[in-house]
Amino acid sequence: MADAVVTFDGVWKKFRRGERHDSLRDLIPSAVRRLLGRTVDDELHNQEFWALRDVSFEVARGEAVGIIGPNGAGKSTALKLLTRIMKPTRGRCSVRGRVGALIEVASGFHPDLTGRENVFLQGAIMGMSQADVSTRFDDIVSFAGLEAFLDTPVKRYSSGMQARLGFAIAAHMDPDVLFVDEVLSVGDISFQSRCTDKMREHVRRGTTLIFVSHNLQAVAALCRRCIVLGAGTKLHDGDPEQGIATYLEAGQKFSSRYSAADQTFRVRSIAMGRRHGRAGPLHPHEPCSLTVVLECLRDSPPANVGLELERTRDLFYAYGATSEELGLELVACRAGETVTVEMAFVAHLARGHYRVNINVRDPREGRFLCYAENAATFAVEERTTYDGVVDLELQMRIAKTPDAATAEPVTLPIATA
Amino acid sequence: MSSLLMNDVREMLHEQVQYRDLLYQMVKRDLLLRYKQTLMGLGWAVFMPLLNTAVFSVIFTRVAPIDPGVPYPIFAFCGLWVWNFFASALKFAVGSLTANANLVTKVYFPREIFPLAAVAVCLVDFAVAGIVMAALMAFYRITPGVSLLCLPLILCVHVVFTTAVALLLAMWNLFYRDVKYLFEVVIVVWMFTTSVVYPVALVGGRLAVLMRLNPMTPIIEAYRSVLLFGEWPAAMPMIAVTAFSFAVLFAAWLMFHRAEFQFAENV
Repeated sequence: MADAVVTFDGVWKKFRRGERHDSLRDLIPSAVRRLLGRTVDDELHNQEFWALRDVSFEVARGEAVGIIGPNGAGKSTALKLLTRIMKPTRGRCSVRGRVGALIEVASGFHPDLTGRENVFLQGAIMGMSQADVSTRFDDIVSFAGLEAFLDTPVKRYSSGMQARLGFAIAAHMDPDVLFVDEVLSVGDISFQSRCTDKMREHVRRGTTLIFVSHNLQAVAALCRRCIVLGAGTKLHDGDPEQGIATYLEAGQKFSSRYSAADQTFRVRSIAMGRRHGRAGPLHPHEPCSLTVVLECLRDSPPANVGLELERTRDLFYAYGATSEELGLELVACRAGETVTVEMAFVAHLARGHYRVNINVRDPREGRFLCYAENAATFAVEERTTYDGVVDLELQMRIAKTPDAATAEPVTLPIATA
Repeated sequence: MSSLLMNDVREMLHEQVQYRDLLYQMVKRDLLLRYKQTLMGLGWAVFMPLLNTAVFSVIFTRVAPIDPGVPYPIFAFCGLWVWNFFASALKFAVGSLTANANLVTKVYFPREIFPLAAVAVCLVDFAVAGIVMAALMAFYRITPGVSLLCLPLILCVHVVFTTAVALLLAMWNLFYRDVKYLFEVVIVVWMFTTSVVYPVALVGGRLAVLMRLNPMTPIIEAYRSVLLFGEWPAAMPMIAVTAFSFAVLFAAWLMFHRAEFQFAENV
């Protein structure tokens, strides 16, 4: 990429598990190397592991890229390499232009100094000149909403106030590349939305944005490209919706609901049926069927079967129902039996990707006998531009009358029961 | 190899220019904090060498009288004043990286800033205590001669050598915390192998040779020659210590710069 601002080229990074040395014999040569400032060797030794393994990507000027992945995937390591806090063990990592980071925005504050003094200190830590801070001082303070507390030592600030001040300073630098890590979790709702607005503003002005987050919704809203890391490797690079689906699949085995269920039943197969055997994404309002075959592994108490739909982008809970709620009898099974569940529904859903969770639950004990997350996935095609999860089949008519007295009530050509 | 070296040097200088405001802010932070957290503020910079001078004056004028050629109190104050800058700068520098671990692991900027700020803060103290030095000189009616022109050079070598050791100690202490404890012992021994409170001339034999090899001895003696005796500093030791100090600073800074990226993982 000719215009790459951020380059991550075959990057490997190793870390050490546990203590630094096992014996005095190891200690002496390593200590000498260390005290003389020699560079580390790039082979994996005892007790070491790769936090990043051959990860490459490039980001062009003005792109907004989200990085997601489960804990321990290497997101923070990647960010530390990008912000030059660490160097890669192998490979190359470079960033061109002025770097801004919304990471630990209050880390340079000294509790005994006042808000005013800390603004200048933190500004300098972030690489702003004193002149820059002076000209933006009023904006910073009013963005943080802390005019009244400027001469109060920061130790008397609440943690929210500290974070707001830190974010305000960082947000008022003029970087070419902006790294953001989970700052949106600080502050109250109104401050959070101001932060998001500020990030959008940066993107609009052509700042390159790299956004590391667990907040899938925010990633999907801000970024057109999404990189998924899992166990130190790149799993996906491209469309955010697909990236989020990849991420959820990778993170599935960590799900608490899944592990809480005992394995009395197992989903042997799940098949989606569509009229005339159509393929591809569903149309909104397309009738379809779902056939689930469950295998009973142990004798089970009377149980019901549940269906859940979640939007993959953000795990929005779109629909849920159980056989009991539909008026069906509970079923009790013996080990070895199979149960076939047939369902039919109409996909009154808005565009997007959805996933199907199937569960079997003992209603008396309130215990899951089976919880198959992501048993199937499907997409609803993009035909309209509305947002949300349901398709209301909304119709609208707008009429204009010159004078309120002659206005007739609007009647829509649809039945209202 | 030499292009790699040039690259490093260019990077080191460029970073210092880019972050010059940060060094200023860090020094300001430390001085402000001293004022806020202590009653005496900069008074401590004057009080400590004065107290030490009083103690050593009692020892070396009453218990074991020596004749250094000028009144003993001003002889001792001059040595302690110069030594104090060196020792206290190192004391602040040795823990400067580990005390700011939260910054080292989270934000990027040249890490040299921490030991350099420690040296700069102590330089402010040194200047303040310099006023006392001038007052004592007036009190004992000592007027320096033309050799005072050497003072900036001596100060420069003094600061360069202090900075070099500060960089090394800060870096070593980050990797092995033992360095801080070792330092506390070594600095006391080092003081008594330097001509801080007695002239080298009074120490005979091999110990005197050792003392003359110690870079702090020619520095302190140069200050005394210029300020108290109105003489030019001894040429050979001065040239040697100047060359040595700059060489150590260069090596220390380069080592520091090359090890810098490991700091976040090891702090």
